[in-house]
Amino acid sequence: MMHITETIKTSLDAIFVNKVRSALTMLGVIIGVLSVILLISIGHGIQNYVKDQFEALGSNLVFVMPGKTPLSGGRDPAEAFSRNKLEGKHVKLIKTQASDFVDQISGGLQVGETIKYKTKSYYASVLGLDASGLNIQNYKYSQGRGFTEREVKSKAKVVILGPKVAEELFPNTNPIGLNVKVGTNTYKIIGIAESKGRNYDEAILIPLTSALDSFGLKNYSYIILSVKNDDEINLAVKQVKRALLRDLKADEFSVMTQNEVLDSIQSILQMLTLALGAIAAISLLVGGIGIMNIMLVSVTERTREIGLRKALGATPTNITIQFLIESLVLSTTGGIIGIILGWLASLSLRGFLRTEVPWWSVLLAFSFSVFVGAIFGTYPAVKAGKKDPIESLRYE
Amino acid sequence: MKAKKELLVVENLTKKYQLTKDLEITALNDVSFKIYKGDYLSITGKSGSGKSTLMHLIGLLDTPTSGTVKLNGIDITNLNNKELAYTRNKEIGFVFQSFNLLKRTTALENVILPLKYSSTPQKEWKEKALEMLKIVGLEDRVNNKSNELSGGQKQRVAIARALINDPSIILADEPTGNLDSKTGKEIEALFEKLNKQGKTIVLVTHDKELAKIASRQIKLKDGEIQK
Repeated sequence: MMHITETIKTSLDAIFVNKVRSALTMLGVIIGVLSVILLISIGHGIQNYVKDQFEALGSNLVFVMPGKTPLSGGRDPAEAFSRNKLEGKHVKLIKTQASDFVDQISGGLQVGETIKYKTKSYYASVLGLDASGLNIQNYKYSQGRGFTEREVKSKAKVVILGPKVAEELFPNTNPIGLNVKVGTNTYKIIGIAESKGRNYDEAILIPLTSALDSFGLKNYSYIILSVKNDDEINLAVKQVKRALLRDLKADEFSVMTQNEVLDSIQSILQMLTLALGAIAAISLLVGGIGIMNIMLVSVTERTREIGLRKALGATPTNITIQFLIESLVLSTTGGIIGIILGWLASLSLRGFLRTEVPWWSVLLAFSFSVFVGAIFGTYPAVKAGKKDPIESLRYE
Repeated sequence: MKAKKELLVVENLTKKYQLTKDLEITALNDVSFKIYKGDYLSITGKSGSGKSTLMHLIGLLDTPTSGTVKLNGIDITNLNNKELAYTRNKEIGFVFQSFNLLKRTTALENVILPLKYSSTPQKEWKEKALEMLKIVGLEDRVNNKSNELSGGQKQRVAIARALINDPSIILADEPTGNLDSKTGKEIEALFEKLNKQGKTIVLVTHDKELAKIASRQIKLKDGEIQK
């Protein structure tokens, strides 16, 4: 009957006697756990980044997109785009048919174009919106103002720069009132948007009507609307669908709430995060094999000690537990160090990437390292317990 | 003179090893003898005579092919590994030729080792071990690690370790084999002292001179006791 605290002490003694070897053995687990924590923190950070980007758009939003989008179960986004039938009349249709639910509505256009000021140029995404679209998406301005409904109606050539665009083209001057070229058309700068995430910061905003004109387009990339009452968002979606079905076929458009869009993207990112974690877990497995390797060496090396302990009254179980605890101590200590290092590594990446260490990844990495120690420690420990005392005492 | 108490009764003990499918070796053949409480018994014989096998059987490290070994009236031939381990812990104190101390471990910790597998409460361990170290004359080497001790000191630690559970039998296998003759004599004297204090000692050796210090001798040849 050996007390568990004594067994742990015996195992710790054995680990400390071979400091370098124990440290190298742990290194395998440390690297494994570190990469699990780090990669999950990156994946998780991206997930939250996307979530925040969506929330920056404003709440209670409903999107209408051309065709069946991949998010709503369609197959080919290019096909959906080429058969795009969304246009101005559909905005009006929703306005009249779903007026009970819709607060504000705006068409939207998104294209890429080079923006030029004197010799400088910047390739930005150009967002065409109605004046109401600026409100729906919560745009704020660090300088100047947004465009008005009148400017939209008159197809005014006015532009709001994203902060990143402004910084690149006008590092030292106040751009308000100056003209930039969007493609071949000249637009007057009336405002600078406040930062709200990379995608928005690297874009410019112009009136939807001017955008359609400038790019020679008829169809919208999307229609965005906000609903009056949060609780009625599903009713609103139904009503918007009903309105559009007066002019379009069911497979020519999709209506989604912001949450649905977010959920679809989140589920993809979640999968990505887990895939990253699983890849990292493979290195943890390799660390486990390292533990088994070292434990097997240790058992052979200490054959005489095993023989002695048995002669003095240790049962096979005593010996097995002693060696099993040794590998568990190695793997869990490695796990804890790996968690701390992984967390530090994730903190140090904050400058470049958004990283977050979720509590479940810590739990996952820790239990996995315990698991690895138990699985890979069992074989050497059982082998140690089964050793014949007579042969072991003779072992040179 | 009152009758001596029978400690260990060996009856018709036979041990065979199956080396290969066709080759069987009889290491011990129909051996019978008794060990009484307070005995100082030596078992001698040349290499291959079966004395190691006999020692392993008495030490409960092995079980016989046939015959019985009764320790304090209990037949130990039918015990399982766990029961053998418990009985070994309680009843047998081993002293080995090569000492077999734990490396880089203090004399005190080495002496405590058998207690860890016993039911002795932990708070008594240190006191007991110190007492044993005093008996073997090492009270000033308690905290020295095993590699800081001389051969004779190592063997004294091993003897203290063998004594700590107050076993029925001290089983010493060539205890002076790795020591110079002067130190060897000191260890011999220690055994004699312990025997006078009532300890039962079984000394296994090939050294006929050493065997003579025992009060009884068993000589083995080709697995059988020579009369």
